[in-house]
Amino acid sequence: MNVRGLRVVVGGRAGELAASGTPAAAGLLAELYEKHAAAVYGRCRYLLKDDAEAKDALQDVFVKVLRALSEFRAAASPTTWILRIATHHCLNLLRARRALWRDQLRMVQGGRRQETESPDRRELVRLLLALASEEAQEIAVLYFVDELTQAEIAQETGRSLPTVRKRLREFLVCAREALGIELEGGDL
Amino acid sequence: MNLDLGGPGPGCSSLRVRRLLAGELTGAEKERTEAHVASCARCTAVQEEIAAERETLRRDVPFPQFAAAVAEKLAHRPQRSFAGRWAPLAAAAGLALIAGTLLVRRPAETETVRSKGPASARLFVQDQRGVHELAPGEPVGEGARILLSLQPAGRKRAAAVLIEPGETSVIYEGPALNGTLPQAFEWTGSGVATLLVVLSDTKVDARSIRSAADAPPGADVLQIQLLR
Repeated sequence: MNVRGLRVVVGGRAGELAASGTPAAAGLLAELYEKHAAAVYGRCRYLLKDDAEAKDALQDVFVKVLRALSEFRAAASPTTWILRIATHHCLNLLRARRALWRDQLRMVQGGRRQETESPDRRELVRLLLALASEEAQEIAVLYFVDELTQAEIAQETGRSLPTVRKRLREFLVCAREALGIELEGGDL
Repeated sequence: MNLDLGGPGPGCSSLRVRRLLAGELTGAEKERTEAHVASCARCTAVQEEIAAERETLRRDVPFPQFAAAVAEKLAHRPQRSFAGRWAPLAAAAGLALIAGTLLVRRPAETETVRSKGPASARLFVQDQRGVHELAPGEPVGEGARILLSLQPAGRKRAAAVLIEPGETSVIYEGPALNGTLPQAFEWTGSGVATLLVVLSDTKVDARSIRSAADAPPGADVLQIQLLR
């Protein structure tokens, strides 16, 4: 748009401005975005079920990444590292409103009793997380969502294999009691 | 009745597929995963999911918005030394990363019109020196690109108009985005111009705004002077 006294720069911002900045620095943020932002945003949308909150959480996660860049770079798997940060961040947000989270689960429980359509597997996991301990929540996400084996989870979290197994079983017990049905969970 | 909640399958892991696509796997693990993914319906579905996530990200959070928002959050948190360290990054990405003073034109300092409520706006300029927030009284250089960042504080609609003697130009009209607006603009005038930012709970017709008095009742109105 061109009017007297004003010129709007379409698509101005980062694209144009980056060209005049430090290429390495601009490249770093763009690289982080390209490689990891979609997965993080996906994780935030999945856990928070609110696009606006997910956008905010996405930004918060990347602020954390930039503040711990050396740790991020030293990670054996940056993808795993950043997704764990995202999961932890979102679970904290959910725990702060646990009552609402549990209300959502109660609706599903009611729906199951009335034999209405159940939520998909992953959504069910999200709701059942509301019942689990903090430690079990993270381990359950690594197992049921990221699909790491118990040994991989133990390695990733620094916990022993028996502890990982115990937390997953706790999660399944809570889930079974909540839904009143038998549950299967991979190699558990 | 049994219900399967999922978990890792034989050779299947959504995270391993992500790591493969991110280039994090090497050697035998990479070859093994590539061979598995090529013949695994479950892993193919994960690849499709990852592709869909990328589309969603680009639709919902394009890079400029993302970068500006991250920089603002870095700047607002009390780690000034860190924010200072990241200034080159912000400048390079065209961001509004300033670790120091709040440069929003506060109503009491610069406005003849009230600005009620916590809604606020900030102006950033990009010139040959990089990106910085426009300081009170600072002239806008020739060719500088101007970015408007909103903190709408729950307001739903926003409009921004540039008012010059005999001319009013609409810069933005739409949802009250939290953060930097998607378009930069360049002021090619001289003397004094006023950037009027209206944040409202109701629709704002930017074309009808010639002064703060034209804003909808109850709207927050911010005025920022541009000097050259």
